[in-house]
Order: sequence, then structure tokens, then C-alpha cells
Amino acid sequence: MLTTQPNNPALHIDAEGNYDLDSHFKQLRSQKRLYTFIGLAVLGAALFFSLWFANETNSGKFLDRLPHLFDFVGDMVPRDGWEVWRALFDLPSPYFDGSLQYNYPEGRVYITQNIYVPEYIYKMVETLNIAILSTLIGFIFGFLLCFLAASNLTTKRWLRFTVRRILEVLRAFPEIVIAGFFLAIFSLGPIPAIIAVSIHTIGALGKMFFEVVENADMKPDEGLRAAGGNWIERVWFGIVPQILPNFLSYALLRLEINVRASTILGAVGAGGIGEVLRLSISRGHEAKTLAIILILFSTIVCVDQLSAYLRKRIVGNQAFEFGA
Amino acid sequence: MLELKNVTRRFGPNIAVDNVDFVIPEGQMVGVIGASGAGKSTLLRMINRLIDTSEGEINFSGVKTSELKGQKLRDWQRDCAMIFQQFNLVPRIDVLTNVMLGRLNHRSTVASLLNIFSDEERAMAIAALERLGIEKVALQRAGTLSGGQQQRVAIARALMQQPKVILADEPIASLDPRNAQIVMQSLKDINQTDGITVITNLHTLDTARTFCERIIGMQAGRVVFDGGPDDLTEEAARKIYGAEGLEDAFSEAVTSTSLSGPREKSPIGQMPPVIRPAAEQNPAYA
Repeated sequence: MLTTQPNNPALHIDAEGNYDLDSHFKQLRSQKRLYTFIGLAVLGAALFFSLWFANETNSGKFLDRLPHLFDFVGDMVPRDGWEVWRALFDLPSPYFDGSLQYNYPEGRVYITQNIYVPEYIYKMVETLNIAILSTLIGFIFGFLLCFLAASNLTTKRWLRFTVRRILEVLRAFPEIVIAGFFLAIFSLGPIPAIIAVSIHTIGALGKMFFEVVENADMKPDEGLRAAGGNWIERVWFGIVPQILPNFLSYALLRLEINVRASTILGAVGAGGIGEVLRLSISRGHEAKTLAIILILFSTIVCVDQLSAYLRKRIVGNQAFEFGA
Repeated sequence: MLELKNVTRRFGPNIAVDNVDFVIPEGQMVGVIGASGAGKSTLLRMINRLIDTSEGEINFSGVKTSELKGQKLRDWQRDCAMIFQQFNLVPRIDVLTNVMLGRLNHRSTVASLLNIFSDEERAMAIAALERLGIEKVALQRAGTLSGGQQQRVAIARALMQQPKVILADEPIASLDPRNAQIVMQSLKDINQTDGITVITNLHTLDTARTFCERIIGMQAGRVVFDGGPDDLTEEAARKIYGAEGLEDAFSEAVTSTSLSGPREKSPIGQMPPVIRPAAEQNPAYA
């Protein structure tokens, strides 16, 4: 019965009636080691068999196809290094042969007679706009809904329950699923992408927001309640000033995510940089593809850095000013 | 006239306030004393309606405030300002706006949300801050102020409500003796100059004796003493704090919020020596 009651010190009383701590400790330790060993063995076996199963059911065997890993990369090498920059800024190519592959100036977007925006920069801005607009819409609706979902502000159970379920449904579906649905209704273009990303953002931000609200200090709210303020006034003056930095921080984080999401949505027909990327990969336009990847990469790095900087400032300030 | 009739409050099986019954005439300065957990805070919160009564009723000038709802309730809360131990200001908003938030109930919600305050309201707020001697910090964020300053901002906010009653829930419990003195003096001044009824919870005997014309002692939810400061004999204090608690009540006075004022000598005999920060100012103790 020793193994079933390892924590019972009564089982480690020696003949003289003293509690033998050392033997108790050793027993617990050896039992813990046994459990760790069994756990690792089970994990290893599960991993091995699942990988084996995946390899067996795959159409191409993993190890057989592994040497082809770099074929795609080989196809992506441009004719010369400047081709990438020509493609990026829509400059004429010396290799132009009438085909679309080297016809970079074709995509120029003219603002005036002579000044143009290069196609990919224009498309990148379009994608960024989708992300910014959807984050803004998500922020506004998430902001309005979160107070109704927070248990410290909404005492009506049914209301809180309803709002929380709505937020759950909104964030339950990935953007790409919602976009597919709205693409069928609104046809190709950025509108379905905006709707899809916004819906998901409302749900995702709304949840984070109400968790922030539930952690808010209720003392200012109590003070305003005792002064006869109504619910809206209490929320606006008692809660919002303390949670706003966190809200902004979460919204910026969401903006980073939404830039990637709207890029992906572009690839399924919602316009922007994702769409041209998919087209150029499938057509095998190596310089264009590299140009798009370059601008995409640098944009995402810039957005992430900017948002990290802003969040640090916003939340850092808060930590600084709360100390009262 | 504030009238409590058989007021009881239960939290689950616990009775926090047990059948409390008293009348406070207009303009009185009342101190409620008792050990922690005696039900002082619950009593004040029931008067302001931050919590509801379980039984009994509270009337103010013929209005049954314990049963008000909606806008009527908020109007009563405006008339019955409350001051808290932790000040309960909005730390990230400037002092002036914090004070003007006392006007919330006098104004339209839309105007409040848009931060539109009239010139008169601003003048009123500045006057309130000047009265409490903190107009210099009016544009600082409330969270950057010291405890004593924050409590005075809270009093200024209460004044903005133009209340008929001010309730103060342990207003000096987290302040140093000097600030405690200033805050209690301000409350006393408001009571005497404006004729506003002040009901304040205090955990120290001598503060209550110094500043209040009437003292209500509570023990385990019941009122066990109700009378003037001179009636508060050692025996009465023993009843409020219990035989062992009495010692604590005095030692607490030494460590945190011991106050002195115009009173010449203590009606309670063997008081341990206390630190009296106001001694220099008050010739009676010099």
C-alpha cells in the first residue's frame, strides 16, 4: 500500500516510533522519477508513431522529396540583382521581351502626368489601409461592447452572457473563412477583407478589453457612484482613464496581426499585396516575387517596430504615473 | 434630519449591522467609533446607498432614501456626499476635473462626456480648492498628489455636490497625523460654516472626542454608545472596544492618527502618552 499513499508520514515510522524523513523523501523521489520516465516514454512513442503515420499517408515520401526543397529557391533567382529594384520601382527592364514577366512599368499608378506610385508600394498601402481601417472598426465596437461584458460593471447576468457569447462567435471564425463568405456576396476587392478582419478584430479585442476592464481599480468608480454619477459617467470618468493605455497597446498589437491577416486575405482575392504576390509566384515572375517579398518584409518589420515603440511609450507612461 | 429605523444588514449568515436605530438632526457633527468589523463602514455605505439595507429603513427629511431607485437614488447620492479612506479619486485626471466631477449629477451626461464644464462650475471648483488650500496643484494629475492633498481634493469634490450630508468613511486612517489634523479641521469647518451634517467613521477615540459633538459607538453591528464626548467614560469605551480592544484603540492612536484640538483634558483617566503634532500650534498643550 506504500505507493498508493506516498504522502502519508505515518507509513514511515520506524520501530522506535520516530518519523523517518529520509526514507520518506527517498520514496517520494523515486516515485516522481518513475512517473517522469513513463511520461517521457509515452510521449516519445506517440511522437514516433504519429510521424510515421503522417509520412505513410503523405503522397510524396518526406525523405524522397527532401532534395527538392531548394528547387523553388533556385527558380526565384533573378537575372541580375538590379532586376528586383526595377520590379519594385516599376523601372524598365533591359530584358523586356514583350512578355508580362519583364514589363515592370505596366503596373505604374499615375497620380499626375509624370509622377507615379510603383505598383507594389500602392498595393502595400492598400493592404495597410485594410489593416488600419479594420483595426479601427474593431477598436470602436470592441470598446463599446467590452464594458457590457465586464462583470465588475455589468450586473445583469443575461446581458453579460449575451455580449460575451457574441464576442466569442465573432472571433471564433478565422478571417479567411469570413472573407470567403463575404467574397461570395461582394465579389473580389478590399471590402470583404475589411469586413472579415473587422469582425474577427471586434471579437478578439473585445475579449482582451473586457479582461482589462475587469482588472481595473474600482475605487474611482465607487467615488463617482457615491457622488450620484450614472453608469455611463462612471465608466467614462472612473474606468476609461485607467484602461485606455492598455486598450491602445492591445489595438496596436492587433494592428500588427491584421497587417499579416489582410496580406493573406489578398491571396484569396481580396486585393492588396497578397493578390499580386500569389499571381507573381504562380506565374514564375522571379524578380517581381522577390520585390514583393522585400516590400512585405520591410513593411511588417516597420509596423512591428513602430507598434512596439508606441506600446512601450504608452504602457511605460502608465506604470510611471500610477504610482500614487 | 436623518433617521435610521431598525436598520440591519446581513452578508450571508453574518450580520454586519444589527438593528441600528438613531436620529441625527441637521447640522450635527457625528463620529462613529468602534473596532474594525464593528459595522461602521457598512452603516455609512447603507446611508449613501452604495449597498442596500437588508431590513429597516433610512429616512431623510421625510424621504425614504433606503428605497429610492434610478435617478431619484442618484439625486440622493448627490445630496449625501461620501469621502473614503482611499480617497477614490480618478488618479489619471487632473485635480480640477476631479473636483468638477462632483457636479456630474447636476449636469447632462452628454456635456459631461464631452468634458464641457461651464465657467461657473470651474469658478466653483477653484473656490472649493482655495478653501481647502490646494489650488496650487489644481492642474496636476490627482494620482501624483500626497495622501493628505488627495483627501482634500475629495472633500472639495464633495463640496461641489452641494450636499446636505457628508459621510466620511475613515477619512484619516491612511494619513499622517499632520494631514489628519488638516482634514478633520476642514470637515469641522464645513460643518460649522455651511451647516452641513457630517457623519464620520473614526477608529480612534481621541479624534472623535476632539472633533465631534456627538459620538456613536458600535460593537459587533450594534450601537452600544450614543452621547456627547464627555459621556464617553472609560467604561463606555470598554463596552465599544472590549477589555482587550481598549488598549489597541489607544495604541493605534499613538501610531497613526492621534489628534488633539481644543479639548482641555481627557475624560478617560489613564491615557498613555501620545504624540501630539499640533502641540506647537495649540497653546493649550504648549
